[in-house]
Amino acid sequence: MKKVLSSLFLVFLVAQGIRAQSVSVSGTVTSSGSEGSLPGVSVIIKGTQRGTTTNADGAFQIEVPDQQATLVFSFVGYKTVERVVGSQSQLSVQLSPDNQVLDEVVVVGYGTQSKRAVTGSVISVNYDKFKDRSFSNVTQSLAGTMPGVNISQSQGAPGASPVIKIRGVSSITAGTNPLIVVDGVPLENFNLNLINPQDIESIEVLKDASSAAIYGSRGSSGVILVTTKMGKPGKANVSANIEYGTQEVVRRVKMMDAQQFIETYVDAKNNAWMAQGGKASDPNNLRPATLRIPEDFTTNPGQFGKGTDWQEVMFRKAPSFNAQVSVSGGTEKTQYMFSGAYLDQTAVLDNNYYKRLTMRSNVRTEVNKHLTVGLNLGITSIFDRTEGTSGKSDVISLGLQSSPIFPVYNENGNLGFRDPNSTWFKYTAYPDMNLWHPYSLTREAEKSRKSFNTIATGFLEYKIVDDLRFRTSLSGNLYNARADFYWKDKQKYGYSAVLPAQGNAGNNYMLNWLSENTLTYDKHLGDHSVTGLLGYTVQKQRDETMYVAANNFPNDLVQTLNAGTVSAGNTTASEWALISYLARVQYNYNNRYFLSGAIRRDGMSRFGADNKWGYFPSVSAGWLISEEAFMGNIKAVNNLKLRVSYGVTGNNQIPNYGAVSLLGSAPYVNGGTLANGLVVSGLANSGLKWEKTDQSNIGVDIGLFKNRITASVELYNSLTRDMLLFVPIPDITGFSTQLSNIGKMRNRGVEFAISTKNINRALTWTTDFNIAHNKNKVLQLGPNNAPIQYVDNVTTVRTEVGQPVSNFFGYIFDGVFKNQAEIDAYPHHASTTPGDPKVRDVNGDGKISDADRTILGNYQPDFIGGITNTFGYKGFELSFLFQGSFGGEIVNNNIRFLGTWDNGRNFFEDMYGYWRSESEPGDGRHFKPSVNYLGLQKQFSSYWVEDASFVRLKNIRVSYSLPNQLISRLNIKDVRVYMNAENVYLFSKYIGYDPENTTYGTTSYSSSMETASNYTSGNAPVPGAFQGVDYGSYPLPRVITFGIKASF
Amino acid sequence: MKKIIQYLVVVSSLFLTWGCKESFLDLAPISNPNAGNFYKTKADFDLAATAAYTTLYTVYDAQGPISYVGELMGDNVTINAIPGNQADKWQFRDYTITPANTMVYQFWQNFYKSLYNVNLVLDKLEGADLDAAYKTKLRGEMLFLRSLYYYNMVQIWGEVPLVTRTLTAAEAQALPRTPVAEINAQIMKDLTEAKSALPVTATVVGRATKGAVQTLLGKQYLVMGDKTNAGKEFLEVYNSKQYSLLPSFASLWDPKTKNTKESIFEIQYLGGSPTSPFSTYYREFFPSTNVLGFYGSGMNQVVDNVWNEFEAKDSRKQASIDTGFVDAKGTFNAARFPKKWADKTAPVVGQNIAANNNFIVFRYADLLLLLTEATGDAKYMNEVRARVGLPAYGESGYPQKYNTVALALEHERRMELAFEFHRWFDLKRTNRAIPVLKEKGKSVTEEKLLLPIPTFVRDQNAIITQNKGY
Repeated sequence: MKKVLSSLFLVFLVAQGIRAQSVSVSGTVTSSGSEGSLPGVSVIIKGTQRGTTTNADGAFQIEVPDQQATLVFSFVGYKTVERVVGSQSQLSVQLSPDNQVLDEVVVVGYGTQSKRAVTGSVISVNYDKFKDRSFSNVTQSLAGTMPGVNISQSQGAPGASPVIKIRGVSSITAGTNPLIVVDGVPLENFNLNLINPQDIESIEVLKDASSAAIYGSRGSSGVILVTTKMGKPGKANVSANIEYGTQEVVRRVKMMDAQQFIETYVDAKNNAWMAQGGKASDPNNLRPATLRIPEDFTTNPGQFGKGTDWQEVMFRKAPSFNAQVSVSGGTEKTQYMFSGAYLDQTAVLDNNYYKRLTMRSNVRTEVNKHLTVGLNLGITSIFDRTEGTSGKSDVISLGLQSSPIFPVYNENGNLGFRDPNSTWFKYTAYPDMNLWHPYSLTREAEKSRKSFNTIATGFLEYKIVDDLRFRTSLSGNLYNARADFYWKDKQKYGYSAVLPAQGNAGNNYMLNWLSENTLTYDKHLGDHSVTGLLGYTVQKQRDETMYVAANNFPNDLVQTLNAGTVSAGNTTASEWALISYLARVQYNYNNRYFLSGAIRRDGMSRFGADNKWGYFPSVSAGWLISEEAFMGNIKAVNNLKLRVSYGVTGNNQIPNYGAVSLLGSAPYVNGGTLANGLVVSGLANSGLKWEKTDQSNIGVDIGLFKNRITASVELYNSLTRDMLLFVPIPDITGFSTQLSNIGKMRNRGVEFAISTKNINRALTWTTDFNIAHNKNKVLQLGPNNAPIQYVDNVTTVRTEVGQPVSNFFGYIFDGVFKNQAEIDAYPHHASTTPGDPKVRDVNGDGKISDADRTILGNYQPDFIGGITNTFGYKGFELSFLFQGSFGGEIVNNNIRFLGTWDNGRNFFEDMYGYWRSESEPGDGRHFKPSVNYLGLQKQFSSYWVEDASFVRLKNIRVSYSLPNQLISRLNIKDVRVYMNAENVYLFSKYIGYDPENTTYGTTSYSSSMETASNYTSGNAPVPGAFQGVDYGSYPLPRVITFGIKASF
Repeated sequence: MKKIIQYLVVVSSLFLTWGCKESFLDLAPISNPNAGNFYKTKADFDLAATAAYTTLYTVYDAQGPISYVGELMGDNVTINAIPGNQADKWQFRDYTITPANTMVYQFWQNFYKSLYNVNLVLDKLEGADLDAAYKTKLRGEMLFLRSLYYYNMVQIWGEVPLVTRTLTAAEAQALPRTPVAEINAQIMKDLTEAKSALPVTATVVGRATKGAVQTLLGKQYLVMGDKTNAGKEFLEVYNSKQYSLLPSFASLWDPKTKNTKESIFEIQYLGGSPTSPFSTYYREFFPSTNVLGFYGSGMNQVVDNVWNEFEAKDSRKQASIDTGFVDAKGTFNAARFPKKWADKTAPVVGQNIAANNNFIVFRYADLLLLLTEATGDAKYMNEVRARVGLPAYGESGYPQKYNTVALALEHERRMELAFEFHRWFDLKRTNRAIPVLKEKGKSVTEEKLLLPIPTFVRDQNAIITQNKGY
């Protein structure tokens, strides 16, 4: 910390040293049309980010470093003008309206394109949109701002990657993570936490198949292009930034306190005992062991008070600190950007942290007029301790499950009732007393992870003739992570068992290299222009893992594994390889008609011998209608463009050796000695091939009143076929699933985005709104269209034809039977007594059976959207972002533990409204608790399914740029102070932490990296099928950050 | 400049020619052997056969089907509040099993996964270029294992799909439940073949022998009600003189005593190390969740009824049942749990204990009792009683309440084979399940003596029917 500060200070000093004499310039800006003076025009010193805006009278005043400085005047709807200051101290500038405002450049696969030439569906977001946001992963800052891109934070831990879904879910069991492309390097399941958001120039999201098809076999879940910054010719720009923030869990799960818990516990025991013919007043010696109640619960429950709120114990207000420095600049021939950043984030969960150091060096130089070479190098190290994200058996969920009756510390300073010298030890006589003290995991265990990532791309561009360029690049991504764990002896009796010390260590290694070779041809002939691209790429990845465990530690003094006896160890390795050929032609006539066609041929090692290769073609066209003569009269419309596209993309996200039948080890004992055995561990499918998605897209962009209003609408229809599916097969084959290509699925949707400049004077007010609807429907499945059903931890998901993927499937509970008369009047389970759930007779056959299970919901929302309002006034800027998701459901799998009796675990406070008697029927929704539920109480039902719709005040941002007059004397180009608040408020009915929580990530395979997909629970064969199931999650904290940014 | 161009051309053409090699994409698994080039040599088949025997670990696991049905559905044991889906486990004890019971589905998977491993060896053996004697013997062993599983499955579920080779998904989809008579016929056919294929003594200790096959064959005859043929098979084993009772009943249960003269077929475990296949019965039957550093599961806790049935002088009571344990505080906690697989010196490994005990599937005492069952002659049963110094049936001092050979045998099997997963199967075979279990307060009916076909199985494949009463 101190070091960082002192190095920052140094940089400041250096910056001061290189200052020069400054000059003051003022003037006015007017329009060449009838509008007169123009307020709000941006005036920037070229090559810097420093500048001002014109006032209500169109006047400005600015300090420039010297007379050579160039001022850039820009205003939306007008052509940008540059003026060299020279000897003038007064400038009069006239801007002329520009109808061709679409010359912004966007990055597309294997090149860039002017925005007007874009014919597919591409969202481009530049640094300005996320510069003040405090997230470590840039995509988190984009949630809610991009139509059709659903970015949800499944786990709130620092460094936890969000789940990103572009235009719905394109696959049932193959991976659905979009492809991440960093500076041209496609990386499957890449963790974007490894790239410092402050180093990012722009993010492009390729949504439709024609834009993504150039990435062929990996494009069907969309592509996210990340481009890092590069210096611009001119003086060195030094910028520095310090942020300080706090995080806090503001929305806790409401659990029962000790009094409520004891009452429910006693009722659960008595209800079960009465069902066996006993009386509630019967003493323990008349009851079986499982139905005995601790004496204190009945004689003096008051002694426990409110008990312990375990969330109070495990969560804390956590500070975070972030600092960075970057230097960029260059000459016409050589440009550079160097940066370093350090993030030190304390997690809201006890003893957890996340520290990240990132360094980047991007350099390019023109060796001669033919040859340009460059190197982008990013190095990241992350040291973290992250717990609580793995669901039901991790710290946070275990804390909720723990009984509130136990104190944080017992009289001996130990953590739990299993301490034989404690008076609490008497509770060990009851097998349903639960305590997984958070500290027994966070403090009695030493845990850490260190990850190191280097991503480097070296390239060489050679201009063969004027129009023909050859580019070759070699990229490498080297990732290494080491995890250590040591659990102290006995854990101060705070865990569910008193365990001897144990330790383990693991290592992940991943090396991915890519060679890309492309030829680009550019030709302009009169009104025609053509760009051609030919490419050949080879990519290979190897992953290795290592794991060692030890026990028998003599004491806790030495916690490295050498102190114990190694009890287990293994190493594994796996590889994949990809060869691709690609070609693309883009043609435009008169900058008005655009046509583009591309094809990619991919060969991948994962697929069956006969199906390694696939073709991925695409075509698209655009028509800039507003350029047509007949539009000349319609003054209000300054831009109108129609885009149409069609393309085929693929999905290769299956296990590396998915087509091969593997053998696993199965040792037996032959004549007293250990003998190796080998057994087939999966069924082979040598015909395994790509999953392909055809997608067509129609889009219209419109700009009205000189782009005061801009809007676009997109319609798409995508059809996924030959789905890579872990098809459940009859268990009598010896296996439960087999990876096959079957079925068809459709995603159809509409996206709408509009930006308006509501007020555009000294005070500015802009509104950006987007909304998207996606409808997912399965059209065909395997033989006989048999539904596909998976069960994990009771939750049942079912995919059937005509329905969206992974419907929740179970019984419907229509509240509670209040009395015997109600039971007699309706079909019911044989065990039903008053206070039990009323299970709906769905098929109306007069009895309650398996056949009454039905669709209970689906996690996919009907609509997602966001609205950002931004206000500006004299250097002040205020913006707030609301994000919403509507029409989805979430499975609160915690109901299994916390919403019903489950061996004495604590309960949701919500459940306290349970049926007690005919005169105390409760809230009508919660059935009576019982130690032995005899009916369907613990089966998967509507009792577990909640509305996942929410509106979130996602972000509030306030910033103030210090006036130029003030700072220019200090020779600082720009100083901004800002406050940023994330996850400010959540409007949701969900009783868990957050309706975005899902314990099951997207399905992903063969990656060593920590991505959103790693957070899985249970034994789900395909975690992706269980999205929207919350079985213990990390809450999303509210984060408030204050920062200052300066550039020199 | 020209040099650079030349260099570029060379480099890129190198890339092109090298990359074009299709072999670049032919990546073989590194950390798992590939099944494609396996099942060729004798060494391969040795490995495959070893793996086929590991299916015994699954089927006879303390948390496996034979344990749940054999003991928990009987009247010898109950369970504590144990980890996992308790309600589903209690349903076995309470005869409230529903088709959605996750354990029932797990058992279904256990059996068919095991059958797959056995059938796979049989399939591959068919075309293998190996010497005939080796093939015959290995085939015999596999047929024995397959028969053992179907023998149990028929008693547990009645009709089940009969799978005798590896199936594709489509073939499996088309296979309904097979009539019991057909499955029985297959068992008889397989065992008859295995009987002639297998040696009297195993070349590798632990492998199936002729004696094991004949014991199973006899039991199969008994289940089918053919006592004559059952008696014939048992008598042949008896007369082979391969087996005898150990002088001391207690010594049978020493964790180091394995594969004795009393053992006809025994599952082999190896304790002492967490990486070897150690025996989990001790841990699973240990009553409390955590007192000695490892997790006891509290499975198969001994009920008073069986404790009280031991005759006063029966030393098997002490040898079979533990009466408690000393906790971390040094206090003794009374609890009755099976002692036969205790290995008190086994090392604690994490939350496990690496016990060394084998599990005997068929032992000579069992055979003697079966002989009495088949022949009605109490002399074989009396050999079993004589070992523990108890008066013979018919002699003075024999408890009067067991006044028929059948009742005496029922009592004797319960005492001798206590907690060895026989009880429910014995009661069912002798048509005594309903009266005996009803008397213990279990809500058992004829229909409940078959488990339901799991919901999930029927969701997957509509042609699979459900048992009556579910």
